[in-house]
Amino acid sequence: MLDGLLILLAFQFAGDLLVRTFDLPLPGPVLGMVLLLVALTTRAAVLQRVAPAANLLIGNLTLLFFPIGIGIVLEWDRYSEHGLALLVSIVAGTIIALLLVTALLKLLLRSPP
Amino acid sequence: MSAFNTPLFALFLTLASYRLAWWLYERSGRHPLAHPFLVAMIPVIIILLLLGISYRDYLAGTAVLQFFLGPATVALAWPLYRQLTTLRKIWGQVLVYILIGAPLAAGLAIGLAAMCGAPLDVIGSLAPKSITTPIALEVSRMTGGYPALAAGAVAITGIVGVLAAPLVFRLLKVHDDRIRGLALGLVAHAIGTARAFEYGERAGAYSSLALGLTGLLTAIALPWLWPWISALLQ
Repeated sequence: MLDGLLILLAFQFAGDLLVRTFDLPLPGPVLGMVLLLVALTTRAAVLQRVAPAANLLIGNLTLLFFPIGIGIVLEWDRYSEHGLALLVSIVAGTIIALLLVTALLKLLLRSPP
Repeated sequence: MSAFNTPLFALFLTLASYRLAWWLYERSGRHPLAHPFLVAMIPVIIILLLLGISYRDYLAGTAVLQFFLGPATVALAWPLYRQLTTLRKIWGQVLVYILIGAPLAAGLAIGLAAMCGAPLDVIGSLAPKSITTPIALEVSRMTGGYPALAAGAVAITGIVGVLAAPLVFRLLKVHDDRIRGLALGLVAHAIGTARAFEYGERAGAYSSLALGLTGLLTAIALPWLWPWISALLQ
């Protein structure tokens, strides 16, 4: 677990350092994720130790963003005047997107699985 | 400062509510409307209001959880790496799919919100709603959005996607687990991926792949394109 956390922090820091140094229009942790993905494809055995920490964090994503997400209710008076836009964009937008990407997949993957 | 207005109590309240919400979620047979994000809100909001603790204090008290969103983003490389072998056979189709589908999902969120007259900061919060929360929060910072709105929009998008999926798949006569997985992962991120695993291991693998690639593409393209998009909307 400790090794995994260390790997994650090291790659996050590397991403952050590159983004700040070169002023890239990209979130630091996302660059860290790309760097880790590239490093993993070298099949270096030590990097496999990232698994326990990675699985723990990914398995509890809801907990990690929960305190921020609850703001949509606790600060609703800040957003209430845009209620209709939020409803249409989130609910209708999601259903339309799902319909369109599923249709697209049916076109792209016509061969049997 | 009372013993209740401390990081200790804020964390305890959050973990206890989350644990309780998970228990109820399992008991409900993992019904999307019983998702822990929705259920855990109820006790937390009631107790914060009863004790008169402000959202700002609560957020500061749980800062340690938000810190781990960064390492969690980096951690997404692991499932993505594990699914790369899945990609080998149909990488061309999957790439075309993500390159069309990810902008489509973001474009619909932006376009519909703009049509309803939402201001730029609200649109910037909604644009990354189909990607996994840790990445969406980073992206929303670069598009001038509100973190709370972005996180809430992402969670509700996941829940709506999971609720709509069985109907959409029936309507379009989908019997292919690759399609179910890729569609759920692109539109409904981690919440959709959890659902995809209920269709089977194969659907789950394809969903993880779509989740990772969509998050990656959106995180690279959206902050870069945002100056043009916002100029267009103004």
